[in-house]
Amino acid sequence: MTILTRGAYGEPGTSLAFKTGNWRSTERPVHIHAKAPCHAACPAGEDQQAWFAKLQEGKAEEAWRVLVAANPMPGVTGRVCPHPCESACNRAALDGALAIHNVERWLGDEAVKHGWAYPVDAPAADAPTVAIIGAGPGGLSAAYHAVRNGLRATIYEAGPEAGGLLRSAIPRTRLPREALDAELERLCALPGIDVRFRQRLGRDVSVEELRAEHAAVLLAPGCQEGWEWSVSGAVPADHHEGLALLKEFMDHGQFPSARRVIVHGGGNTAIDLCRLLKRSGVEEVTLVTASALPGPDTDPADVINVVPRELEEALEEEVAVIEHATVNRLVMRGSRITGAEIVSLKKVPGPGGRKKRVSFEGTERVVEVDMVIPCIGERVDPEGLNGLVKRGYLRPDDAWGTLGEKLYALGDARGDRGTVAEAIGDGARVIGAITARLAGAEPLADGRAEMPASGLNPTYYERLPKAKAPKLPIEDRTFDTEIEGDIGGTATMAEAQRCLSCGDCLACDNCWTFCPDNAVIKTVELARDGSHYLFDLDFCKGCGLCAAECPTGYIQMQPEFAVETA
Amino acid sequence: MREALEGSQAIARAVALCDPDVIAAYPITPQTHIVENISKLVAEGDLHTEFVSVESEFSAASVALGAAATGARAYTATASQGVLLMAEVLFNIAGMRLPMVMTVANRAVSAPLSIWNDHADSMAVRDAGWIQLHATSNQEAVDTTIQAFRITQDTELPVMVCMDGFILTHTLEPIDLPSHEDVRAWLPPLEFDRKLDPADPKSMGMLVTPDFFPEVRHSHHSAMQKALATIEQADADFESAFGRASGGLLTVEGDPEAKIGLVAMGSTVGTMRAGMAHFQAEAGPARLINLRAYRPFPSQALRDAVRGLDHLIVIDRAISPGLGGILGSEVAAVLSSAPDAPRILNVALGLGGRDIPETLYPDLLAAVRDPDAPAFSVFDADLKKLAPEDR
Repeated sequence: MTILTRGAYGEPGTSLAFKTGNWRSTERPVHIHAKAPCHAACPAGEDQQAWFAKLQEGKAEEAWRVLVAANPMPGVTGRVCPHPCESACNRAALDGALAIHNVERWLGDEAVKHGWAYPVDAPAADAPTVAIIGAGPGGLSAAYHAVRNGLRATIYEAGPEAGGLLRSAIPRTRLPREALDAELERLCALPGIDVRFRQRLGRDVSVEELRAEHAAVLLAPGCQEGWEWSVSGAVPADHHEGLALLKEFMDHGQFPSARRVIVHGGGNTAIDLCRLLKRSGVEEVTLVTASALPGPDTDPADVINVVPRELEEALEEEVAVIEHATVNRLVMRGSRITGAEIVSLKKVPGPGGRKKRVSFEGTERVVEVDMVIPCIGERVDPEGLNGLVKRGYLRPDDAWGTLGEKLYALGDARGDRGTVAEAIGDGARVIGAITARLAGAEPLADGRAEMPASGLNPTYYERLPKAKAPKLPIEDRTFDTEIEGDIGGTATMAEAQRCLSCGDCLACDNCWTFCPDNAVIKTVELARDGSHYLFDLDFCKGCGLCAAECPTGYIQMQPEFAVETA
Repeated sequence: MREALEGSQAIARAVALCDPDVIAAYPITPQTHIVENISKLVAEGDLHTEFVSVESEFSAASVALGAAATGARAYTATASQGVLLMAEVLFNIAGMRLPMVMTVANRAVSAPLSIWNDHADSMAVRDAGWIQLHATSNQEAVDTTIQAFRITQDTELPVMVCMDGFILTHTLEPIDLPSHEDVRAWLPPLEFDRKLDPADPKSMGMLVTPDFFPEVRHSHHSAMQKALATIEQADADFESAFGRASGGLLTVEGDPEAKIGLVAMGSTVGTMRAGMAHFQAEAGPARLINLRAYRPFPSQALRDAVRGLDHLIVIDRAISPGLGGILGSEVAAVLSSAPDAPRILNVALGLGGRDIPETLYPDLLAAVRDPDAPAFSVFDADLKKLAPEDR
């Protein structure tokens, strides 16, 4: 039993028994490194906030190194990604989202220009090897992450070059060959990555052989086959499927002649195709899509899923769009198309509460056209994948891409992906799962919460204008010159200063300044969570000023005692 | 050899005899002469101490507290509003069980402003946890001051020596001051083992949670109870060393067979003593009790002292408005458990410096024989000076 000292003086250390923390209100402050919304939204798993923080310190190469810890192709994604990071950016509510993709692209290009080395070491000569089918963005990302995790990777690519859809289907106006080649060459040259070209699955290699010889087999073949398309059984004689047409044009630079074209679909292929057709001299190009154009009253789930900039430019270039509609009937003269009947769609409740789109009777109208190009998506080419393809796709069981023992799927072939960034993210995820399982563990998802705009205190942020990239005038747009330009180093560094650092410590001293009880201790040495501060809970009264004045939401009040629930 | 000294001057000299390490005080009437005389002793090189000039009584008490906490022999003095301004610190000094001595030159408390004597100031802090000893004369004040330094270090309770303002502080009296050597021989050096020491750090005046607070108060009360014996012993030791005592806990004089008794504190005792001597014939026999120790309260000694009395006059020099005399109420409480306790007549006298003439003595004894006399009254108040509605 404690014996009271005369006059109640305290021996050294005994003041712990009298800490004023006993009086704290029902909450205590904690440092919580929530995910910045850009990070949470990034399909490639980039932590944009983390690399913007390096840029804020003026350290471009370090920023690039943090970036490529997730995504080895920033020069590519900075150009082609629909950047959901920017849509999620908390700065949007303030004075416009950060120009993340422009900065990402600049970092990617700088790395190429200066030859910054990827932060990877050569794997051991006897390291486990993974076999990867396909040298598209997903396969390349997987190979890169394999090396980062100390594994070796062999990529089997059916074609003569790496890049997959990046090379075959993305117009050079979006992704110049030089940018693509520079990044991919550096990637493929990394020690531990072996790319074997002209190796076709089913012909030159088999899944079973590879599975027997490797620690794991990763299937990243992409989707190479168009779905069969017909309107009420009618198929025109000169039928062209969208992606195939785009690939042909990328190879030969020519389209079949037509005066008025309808492109039917709602993805990037459709938009790319519309713009290239228009530029190649087609008089009228109309996109018919079941989705909607973005607008104040549009349900975000309905908005057409394309790179916003591309849609904007397509409209500038006078591509016509008929939203919420589908092609109902083809008007044929013999086996040639002379027109198409368009019908608007309406949403009705379907089974399981999900809304279903059905034709809105009475809205049918006939448009005079001489070509209808379906861009309704592609499926996996089943060659060499016997028994693995289900309803067009590989459809793995989980986010890690697990198909079976030592067998994984990633990228478009999964059936629930559709962007380069998602394929890149899959590469990291699958390798993460393989590495964990090789070590006898199961992969863990990052369960951190996301920092919403409401969690920030915007008082402390200056209003700063958003960087604007130069753009080629419509009349100068061709088939080879990149339309969006580089924002340059100065604008990049200025843009970095706009990052709100959502959910991370800025070391702004607000908590230290405002604490009425001196209960915030400023110490870089002892703050192991990466902040510059510790809470001295012996003195904290739980007033919450620090949390209220923390600009980034890094300080949050948590209940002092867990509430017991029945 | 005796010296004719003003009360304040005598106190200053007595304090100097005790070799205080630190003195901090702020002048206030009627304590001013004490501080002046101490600073004079320091200035003339007769007293080697750290004399700290402060800007208020709060600071004076705080400096003394800090000094005591480091194990220094500390002293301060004040009166009236100064006591009130010190109040918070006085509770802290006592609660931290720090040894120190303070002289209170008792004075009424404002408003209305009064610079004259009564006991309202020390009574206002009677629950602070200090020992309170009252002096009936300047010689007792001197001797009690010296004893107080020994009592405080023996009990680790601060000691307040109360002397009536002006009546004692400003009166010249032949005083026998002991020699410095004799006082040094009688008063051992202060050894306070809980002192603040950078080599052995500790925290003082800390938060005590409800887990321990009642125990703190219990131990304080217990220490005060034990101090009763220490006070008596100190006075007895002083008497054997210097040949005179200062009244122990209380003294009883007069006719042991008397049926009427009086209880008083401080200089009023001297007045009553003179009254008793001069008016014995017409007033009849009486017993006079000088209550020297007000805190701790000598309950048992008082019960013994009143044995055989039918009537007890308790003279207060402070009142608790709405209750009556403070001392009277406490005496009544203490005697409530005594067999055959005397009937109590509680009177307040001399509030705000109203002169207490010895001629009041026969009036008091007459009043106690009146069965219709109120249990408490401000005895010397002339109600004709009040508007009827304010009486």
